[in-house]
Amino acid sequence: MRRIAGIVLAVLLIGGVVAAVVAGREADDKGTATKTVQGVIGSEKAEFFADPDVVKALAAKGYTVKAETSGSWAMEGLDLDGYDFAFPSSQAPATELAAKHKVRGTLPRPFYSPLVVVAHKSATEVLAGNGLATLDAEHRGTLKMAAYLDAARKDRTWQQLKGADKYGELTGTLYLSSTDPETSNSGALYLAAASCVANGGKVVASDAEVKRTTPLLHKLVSVQGAQQSSTDAAFRDFVSGAGNPLVLVYESQVASLLADGQHPDDLVVLYPDTTVNSDHTVVPLTENGQALAGLLSTDRRLRELEVRHGFRPQGEATEFAAAATYLKQELTGVRQAPVPTSAVLHELARRARG
Amino acid sequence: MRRHALAACLAALGLLTACTAEEDGISGLSTPGVPGPAEPGTLRVLASSELSDMAPVLARVEKDTGIKVRPTYIGTLDAVDMLAKGTTDGKYDALWLSSNDYLRLRPEAAAKVVSETPVMSSGVAIGVKQATAKALGWKPDDVTWSQVEQAVQDGKLTYGMTDPARSNSGFSTLVSVASALSGAQSALTDADVGKATPRLKEFFKGQKLTSGSSGWLAAAYDRRGDVDALLNYESVLKGIPGLTVIRPRDGVITADYPLTTLKSTSTRTREDVRRLTEDLRTEKIQREITARTHRRPVVASVPPGSGLDTTRRRELPFPGTRSVADGLLDSYENELRRPSRTVYVLDTSGSMEGDRLDRLKTALTDLTGDFREREEVTLMPFGSQVKSVRTHVVEPADPQTGLDAIREDTSALSADGDTAIYTSLEKAYDHLGADRDTFTSIVLMTDGENTAGVDAGDFDDFYRDGLTPAGRRIPVFPILFGDSDRSELAHIADLTGGRLFDARQGSLDGAFEEIRGYQ
Repeated sequence: MRRIAGIVLAVLLIGGVVAAVVAGREADDKGTATKTVQGVIGSEKAEFFADPDVVKALAAKGYTVKAETSGSWAMEGLDLDGYDFAFPSSQAPATELAAKHKVRGTLPRPFYSPLVVVAHKSATEVLAGNGLATLDAEHRGTLKMAAYLDAARKDRTWQQLKGADKYGELTGTLYLSSTDPETSNSGALYLAAASCVANGGKVVASDAEVKRTTPLLHKLVSVQGAQQSSTDAAFRDFVSGAGNPLVLVYESQVASLLADGQHPDDLVVLYPDTTVNSDHTVVPLTENGQALAGLLSTDRRLRELEVRHGFRPQGEATEFAAAATYLKQELTGVRQAPVPTSAVLHELARRARG
Repeated sequence: MRRHALAACLAALGLLTACTAEEDGISGLSTPGVPGPAEPGTLRVLASSELSDMAPVLARVEKDTGIKVRPTYIGTLDAVDMLAKGTTDGKYDALWLSSNDYLRLRPEAAAKVVSETPVMSSGVAIGVKQATAKALGWKPDDVTWSQVEQAVQDGKLTYGMTDPARSNSGFSTLVSVASALSGAQSALTDADVGKATPRLKEFFKGQKLTSGSSGWLAAAYDRRGDVDALLNYESVLKGIPGLTVIRPRDGVITADYPLTTLKSTSTRTREDVRRLTEDLRTEKIQREITARTHRRPVVASVPPGSGLDTTRRRELPFPGTRSVADGLLDSYENELRRPSRTVYVLDTSGSMEGDRLDRLKTALTDLTGDFREREEVTLMPFGSQVKSVRTHVVEPADPQTGLDAIREDTSALSADGDTAIYTSLEKAYDHLGADRDTFTSIVLMTDGENTAGVDAGDFDDFYRDGLTPAGRRIPVFPILFGDSDRSELAHIADLTGGRLFDARQGSLDGAFEEIRGYQ
């Protein structure tokens, strides 16, 4: 009896080993069949591509994505030989990249995210008390851009605002921190939104309009001193408790943080009443790059994961579950500023920095 | 401007500094060396010296990822200069400075960067002896830079800080102090710096210790006992027992330690850097970072380590232009800080004949590009005894005359005689005499063992019994060269509170340059 049991056990064990080998080989096969796609992406999408679920969803379709980050406008300066795609954070740098690399056709824009301001509660309270912002939930509000730009024009300091003296950290010139507009998309989009407001709600196009808006834009940038070169870095600083109390980031960065189960008490999301969406735009450089762009736009699972990372997939109402007190489900009441042409935006950034 | 000449020559020679912790002087042996060849799985990282405390964390990251980090420590300015000139190309796989704020002011350097990812953060702070904080009636939450300035003016506070030209902590401290004391409401301008100069001069009268690295600064502070405070990153100060750490209420500059990939590297290298960065930002490693190094995490799910105050501080903007940053550094070096007095005790015994003497002459001549205005330099060549004592001052009105004289004396050096190390050192102490209002130190360069004059025991007695307390505060920075005896020189560094530098593998130029941070 005991002997028989031994044989049965041995057979089972061998079977187990065989099964394991087969399973192993299957996994290997899948591994070799996967196409590796190499790309350069804006820093705010790094976590999306690093997410194990995204990796799995892509692998299920036969792709492994290797992505490195770069400022969206800095991608122009990279040698993209051997790369399958570039994925800057908006259309303007994508269009330039497409022209440089002779990519034809409509560039896929799988998802977008509006520019928002992350703020500490103390700063929000003071802004609201001085007519610069309104609050519509504990962690959510609206920044009045015209009022803010007016304060910036007059070099308003926090000390001059009612109620700021309660908070030691609120001193010095009132300003929004943004990234370097010459290399990073969010910094450039800030100038797009601000220039539109400063230009009476019209997109800046003519030389005269560029000239007229330059002094204000220069002020918005020069007060900041050295700027971060990536939106990710600016947001990290904010999260670690360092830096300016008002920082321009993408809504997706906040949404992603919230989706992780984090609900920072001292975080308020202010939607500028005039803002700009970043249309994350793929520049396919090879067929594999094109195929990846297609998946990001159409694959159900990937679209779910895009939402989890805080992006708003095109053509679909977005549900940011569990984030309702921080984020707007619909972008009603937020005006989309039109973005100037690349040439004009470059010129605005150059003058603002100069 | 002088500083740039140094950076240029450092860069040209590819001379860098790497530190290993051994018992040589009060904070280890320093070897200015070369980065080493590329090896798979190893990242050669040009890094701020403050990052040396990350060794245990990096060991853990290596276990997770199989990626080994081989750091070469360097000051921010030199790193940025190398990057701008392309001398990092092919020699380094990544850059990891305390902050890239200065880097961004140099477009040629910024153009070499592909991506940068902050890993952790720490702001500038003041670490004050508990007794001093109490005597000053300071509440840690409520101290401003102006109060620190007042305490210095009243003669109630002295402090040490690192050299802004060599160490990022010193640089950030300088900018924080200048921003706060200038009353600037936004990023510093040239006009702000000009306006603040008189106050800054007063402020820096309180600086009694300077150092090329945070590690030696802490050791020297401990040894001296008569310095009341240290200015450095909060993370460094939290690691020093007995200090009350104050984050000034009117604002600080925060370092965010971005791991930076470089265009000159391959995609594969950058992928390794990305994996390293990713692992450093996992919750597990972020927890370890904040617990071990007292830096603040950059992921929201990890709270700052225990003992890190979570109240907010205003972030002082870092200057947005190079002219402001460089102008501030220039005035610190040449105008604001106390000047230095240094005796160079130089072995020109018979064994130095030929190549060694040539190398010494070249190194010293190159060094003249780095002397600061108001600096007093004494050349004391020795063989069987001290051969001559020649002192030159770099006068602000006419710096060239002093520098020319140093070069002239250097070219006249000749090799002969035995090696009287200790007798010559005693003579150097006699020459420096009573402490004036300067940073005073001795550099000892020798290529052999002591063969003439008094012996080590005599020198120990001389140091312990023959010197005033002020004299005993003068450190000797010995340089290992040729066939010099490491234990002999280590003992001298240890006895006098100096630090040993190794020019056997690297170069003499590199050692001289690195010692500048301590003068």
